[in-house]
Order: sequence, then C-alpha cells, then structure tokens
Amino acid sequence: MVTTIRHYFSVAACFARLAVQRQLEYPLFLFSWLLMIPIQYFSGIWMLKIIVDRFQPLNGWDFPELAFLYGLGLLSHGMLVVFFINTWQIDNMVIQGTFDRLLLRPMSVFFQLVASYVNFIGLIDCIPGLIIFLYGCQLVGFEWTLGNIIKLLLVLIGGVLIRASLFISLGTIAFWTKRNASMVGFTLSMLERGTMYPLGIYPYVLQVIFTFIIPIGFISFYPAAEFLGKGSESFQLPLNFALATPAVGLACFMLSQWIFRRGMRSYESAGS
Amino acid sequence: MLQAYWYITKMRLLTNLAYRFEVFASVGTNLILMLASVFLWKAAYGGDTGQVQALTLQDLTSYTILSIMLASVFVCDVQDTIYYKIREGQIVTDFYRPIPLLACYLADDIGSMLSSMINKVIPLFVFAALLFGVPWPASPLGFLLFIPSCLLSYAILWLLSALVGLIAFWVMELGNMGMVKDSIVRVLSGSIVPLWFFPESIQTISKFLPFQYTYQTPLGIYIGNIGVREALTAMGIQLIWVVFLYLLLAAGWRRSKSKTLIQGG
Amino acid sequence: MEAVIEVHDLVKEYTIAKKGSGLRGALKGLLFPEKKTVRGVDGISFSIAPGEIVGYIGPNGAGKSTTIKMLTGILHPTSGSIKVCGISPQADRKSVVRKLGVVFGQRTQLYWDLRLGESFELLRRIYQVDKTSFEENMSILSDVLKLEEFIHTPVRQLSLGQRMRGDIAAAMLHSPSVLFLDEPTIGLDADAKHAIRHFIKEINRKRGVTVILTTHDLDDVEQLCTRLVVVNHGKVVEDGPMASLIRKLAPHRLLVVELQQPFDDLEHPAAEIIKQDGLKVWYQFEKSRISAAQLISELSQKLPIQDLSVKEPDIEDAIREVYKMT
Repeated sequence: MVTTIRHYFSVAACFARLAVQRQLEYPLFLFSWLLMIPIQYFSGIWMLKIIVDRFQPLNGWDFPELAFLYGLGLLSHGMLVVFFINTWQIDNMVIQGTFDRLLLRPMSVFFQLVASYVNFIGLIDCIPGLIIFLYGCQLVGFEWTLGNIIKLLLVLIGGVLIRASLFISLGTIAFWTKRNASMVGFTLSMLERGTMYPLGIYPYVLQVIFTFIIPIGFISFYPAAEFLGKGSESFQLPLNFALATPAVGLACFMLSQWIFRRGMRSYESAGS
Repeated sequence: MLQAYWYITKMRLLTNLAYRFEVFASVGTNLILMLASVFLWKAAYGGDTGQVQALTLQDLTSYTILSIMLASVFVCDVQDTIYYKIREGQIVTDFYRPIPLLACYLADDIGSMLSSMINKVIPLFVFAALLFGVPWPASPLGFLLFIPSCLLSYAILWLLSALVGLIAFWVMELGNMGMVKDSIVRVLSGSIVPLWFFPESIQTISKFLPFQYTYQTPLGIYIGNIGVREALTAMGIQLIWVVFLYLLLAAGWRRSKSKTLIQGG
Repeated sequence: MEAVIEVHDLVKEYTIAKKGSGLRGALKGLLFPEKKTVRGVDGISFSIAPGEIVGYIGPNGAGKSTTIKMLTGILHPTSGSIKVCGISPQADRKSVVRKLGVVFGQRTQLYWDLRLGESFELLRRIYQVDKTSFEENMSILSDVLKLEEFIHTPVRQLSLGQRMRGDIAAAMLHSPSVLFLDEPTIGLDADAKHAIRHFIKEINRKRGVTVILTTHDLDDVEQLCTRLVVVNHGKVVEDGPMASLIRKLAPHRLLVVELQQPFDDLEHPAAEIIKQDGLKVWYQFEKSRISAAQLISELSQKLPIQDLSVKEPDIEDAIREVYKMT
C-alpha cells in the first residue's frame, strides 16, 4: 500500500515536471490567454454591477455579496482548470490513440488521465478569481478567522470535486460517441451560470435540479449564502455547508469514478 | 465559379447536419445561456412591470432570446481556419488554388450558418416560445429592417474575424487571438447586456467602435427600441463599417499573401 | 513449451452508424440513425511459443490492429478467450501490460516537445525500474539503437527513423517478454529499417523476447519472421512457418533463360512459357513436378543457352495469392 502510494506520487511528480517543461516551451502562447481570461471574468462581474446599479439587488443579493459569490465560484473553476483539464479532452485522446497508451501502462487509467497534464496555465484563471474574491471579501467584510479559513478550504476542495465529477461523467460520453468537445462547452456554460448568480433567481425546478441532481449549488451558492448569513429562501438544508460541500463533492466524485469505469468497459478504441 | 462556392457551402451544410450529438450539445449550451440571462433579467426587474431605460422585461426577454439565436447563426470559423492553416503550414499550398481563399472560407461559414438555421435556431426558437412565449418583433416594419441589418451585422463580424485571423500571419506564437476578440465582442456588442445600460462614457466610446453594430443594432430594431429613422442611420453606419473593414482586410490580405509567398511560409 | 500467447475463437463485433447520402440522408441520420453490426474479428485462434517472431499480416481492415488491441488489453473481445503469459489481459490488465512492450508505428508515446531522455525517465518511474537495471538496460539499448546520438534532442526535432528507435527503446525499458510492433518500419528509409530489424533480431536472440509484428513491408517479414499468421476478413487464412507457407501458397518458380540466338522449339512438357521478350524466355514450373536442376539440364540439351537464373517465389506473391483466395 505504502509502496503503491509512493509509486503514484513519484509518477505524478514526474508528470508535473514534464508538464511545466512542455508549457514553457511556448511561453508566448500564454499571451492570448493572459489577455482573454481576465477580460472574460472582469467583464462578467462588471456586467453584474451594471445590472445591479441600474435595477436592484438580485433576489436580495447586493453587489458586494454577488462579487463574493462570483469570486468563490471562479476560484474552484480555476483550480479545476489546473488539475483536471485533461478530462475535457478525452474525445481527442480517444481519436488520436493516446488513450490506448494509458491502457498499456500498469497504472490506474484515471490517475494517468488526470495526472499526465497539470495545467499551470490554468493559474491564469485563478488570478481574476482570487482578485474578485478578495474584493468581494473586502466589500462584505469577511472575517479571516482560522475557522473561516478552514471552512473556506473545505468548500473549495468540495467545489473542485463537484466540478471535476461533472466533467469526468460527461467526458465518459466520448467513449461511446468519440466526440464530446461540445459537451464540455455545455457543461462549462452551465457551471458558469449556475455558480455565479444566486440560485434563487432560477425557477423552482432548476433549483431542485441544481441542488439534488446536478448539485452545482453546493459549489458556491449554498456556501456563500451561509458565509454571508443569508437564509436561502428555497431550501433549508439541515447540513452545515462546510460539511455539505465536501461531502457532496466526495459522493459525486465516487459516482463519477463508477461512471468512468463503466465507460471504459464499453470503450472501443479508435480505428479498427 | 459560383458553383464552386455553392459546392463548398453545401458540403459544409451536409457535414454539419451529420453531427447529431454536437447539435444537441450546442442547442443545450445556448438554451442554458438563454435561461440564465432571461432569469437574470427577471430577477433584476423583481416582479416590477415598469420600464428601465425605456425597456420592459418583455423587451429584454425578446432581446436575449434573439441574441442567443443570432449568436448560434453567426458562424465565423474563418479566424480559426486561417490560424490552423498557418500553423499546419497549409496556407501556402492553398494560395495556389485557382479560386480566392477568403471567398472559400466565407462559403464554408455560410454553409455552417445554413445548417445552424435548421438544427440550432429552430429548436432554440421552439424552446424559447414554449418557455417564455413567442418573442414577436415590435412591428412588421421592424422585422423587415431587422433582416438586412442582421446581414450587415454578419458582414462586420465575419470581416473582423478574418482580420483577426490575419494576425496569425505575423505573430503565430501568440496563440489564437480570435479568443481575445470574441471576449471583447461579447461585452461591447451588447449581446449579453445592452449597451444602453452601460455608463454614458462607455456608450459614447462605443459609438465609434464597430462592436455595437453587430448585435445591439439589429436586436434594438427588432424590439422597437430603435425607431425607423434611427434604424436607417444605424444601418448606414453598419454599411460604412462593412466597407471600411473590407478595404482593410483586402489590403491586409494582399500584404500577408505576398509576405507568405516570398518567405515560402 | 508453454505458449506465451494463447488465443481461442476470438470475436470482435462493432456497431457502426449507417449514413445516407445527400441532404435527405443527412436529415434522416439526424433523426433516425441506422445501425448495423460488423464483425471485425471473426473467430481467430492461434498460440505463440516463447521466442517466436511472428508476422501477423493481412490487408487493411482485415482485423490486424483490432486483434493486437485485444491481445494487449486495450479492447475487450465480444467472445473468445485470450491468455498472455497465462493471464487474461481483460481480467488483469496491469499484470499483463508489465510483460508487454507495444510500439505503434504511426503513434509515438514520446513527449513531442521534450528531450527523448525525459520520456524514458517518466517510463522508468511508471514501470518502477530501479536505477541500476535502468542504466544497464539503457546501455544495452543504446548500443544497438545508437540512442546516445540524440537522447538529448527534443523529440520533435528527430528524424522519423530516430523517433522510431526512441519509441522501440521506450517499449523495451522495462524488459518485457513480449514485444508487439504495429508497422514498425512504416515510412522509414533503408538504413533505419535495417537498424530496426537488426535490433529485433538481437533482442529475440539474446533475451528470447517473443515478437509479434504487423507490417505491410514484406522485407520485414522475409528477414525477421519465422512464422506467419495471415488474416483476411477477420479470419485466419494461413498459419505456419514461413518456408512451408510459401511452398504451399506459391508452388511456382521461374526459370529465366537467355538464348544465344533465336530458336523455334522452346516448349518443355513440365514448364509453361509465361513470357518471351527477344532472346529472353520465362518458364514457370512447379517444384513438385520437376526440380530446377532437371529442367535446366533438359532445356540446355536442346537450347543454345547463354545465361540463366532461377527465381524463388517472393512472399509478396504468396500473400497476394492468399488474398485472392478469400
């Protein structure tokens, strides 16, 4: 057991080192991302501000609270992009045969899939997330107590796991269809819209879906609501969010592992 | 000659129709964007039936639905096409083809537009109509003006894409700048939040940029926020942008081409 | 001796979507996709002993790659059984792949942007090869494959031949007992092909590695393989030692005779003239009916022969025969 863990750690470290080296081969390539990502996210929060200024707080959430929510969601998105980006391109790996290679090695396929590309470029996604979140914290007067920090970390880990589970489950579709790039786009939009606005603006049906079926409400909305001491008008959840988010995250992750294994079983590789 | 272009268009149309799964996912994505935006507006009005900036909730709902539908019709793959062709070094051989390259790319994109009309816009329209009611145009005349304005919008967007594509001839290493352009267009075209809500200073600057004439102009005409006289003026400005961008593209394309052919890619 | 690979009644079926033609077909496919089942591999059985070099050949789409993918555990068969080193790759993939080296000629497993050595370092960790055996292994591989010339070069800058040598070394780092090579010489120049064939012979001779090779290059087959398994339409159509297979499939030989001067009565009862060009005459004969020596002596009694040569049938002809049969 210990040797297995050490084996996996050593491979993961080597994968990470090679990933950094590969990304540094084309440093200028970062330029377009470095421009696009901040434009996209800062304009997103700016448009929320415009709407709140011209109209009224959204479902009782004023701009500082919205910034806190938006930043919290964006942080877990950034971390997902760093650690789980390979789940977005399972279809490509299937078509180009790189997925076959994972099956030819004596290690867990899922581990290889995820560990083989630590996307340091994704830190660019984390920067606007961090800035907007800290700005939101400032505006709402978030208290940086040890308890709050631990809660925050648990929420972030849970949030990343929930996001990752979604992409893993959907990426599995590529085993059947050989294509899922558009599914990734779909999921990204859903996650973005589901985590950066208060869930309360959506109709009851969608709130139920985003709580119990595709539980993306736990990524940012429920935790933010509780951090900010806002009663969620829709559901009174019995669990404390600091436990609920990581618990939901773990449950989703285990489920996604099961789905992934199902998908692999029915995987037929590209070409014949 | 035209037959060759029609062939490209038709092939693209057929290919796109074959990707069933992609279509479902794309409709789903746009549906989510549509739902999120409409509910955001609902929350912003908060049950209020009044007007903000002379717009009602119904106006903004129609605006949003139409905006999403336009976004899935306005296919500008040209920027990616040029980028990948240069990256793969294919562009040089393509230059030696007997028909003009840019026209081929346009024909290709028009094929994608036609397939999108069939397999994306129709389902989106049906869903929108079921969920929020049919987004009728403000007036029949508004609808009549909306169509040519859309064509001009597409011309502006396509020319912008092709121009951004040209950047790759000069600085390949910078990655695909089309993404950057797209993120700017999304905000400044008013496709998500109309520019009428933006601060005055931004609105003033925006009048001198091409972006607001791509989405806000036709959509404003459709919901009647832009009257007939203003609409005609706006379409005149659209036309000026089309001519200006076309000349810019023609000049840039000629220079890129000679540069590429001299250097041999 | 116990078999390294044991395949019994292997079947692999696919479902493929049928697409109609034209706009109508496209629209129909959008709403009501039609599916049909195809048998890519249709009841294949064979067993391979340790130390064999087996050529697994057949035309495109015959089911070669599919079989290889099932043997290596990538694909699961629809039915039938596979044992590699006594283990089913489907039941215990990780144990089986430790014993396998796999090279896909058209797909590299090396990191494109990094120096060749970096990929080796990663594989060393994945296969848990300790430092000393790794270095020992590397030096042996380097000797034959001449890796030291380019081990510090980024893979994208390597020639195809160098890259292939790198890929083969990568597959051999963990000292597998079975090596699968899928089109290992595709697109290479004569030198590179030679180097790779030399290496395959070496590891087979020195380490007793069993090699299974798919190829379209018949020189590979002729120079390397002791045994051929020929597949077509998903079935094994021939399986046997190279030599007997050729005897069986291409029993004809050719005798090319060059005459000193034109001559009328060229016929021979046991040989058939298949071509005549000026003073050159091509006789085709069956080895079982008449030996080359006898034919030559009989012909030389009546013909003014200037020069002659006997042509062995080549493997290409033999295989072409097989494909025609089915």
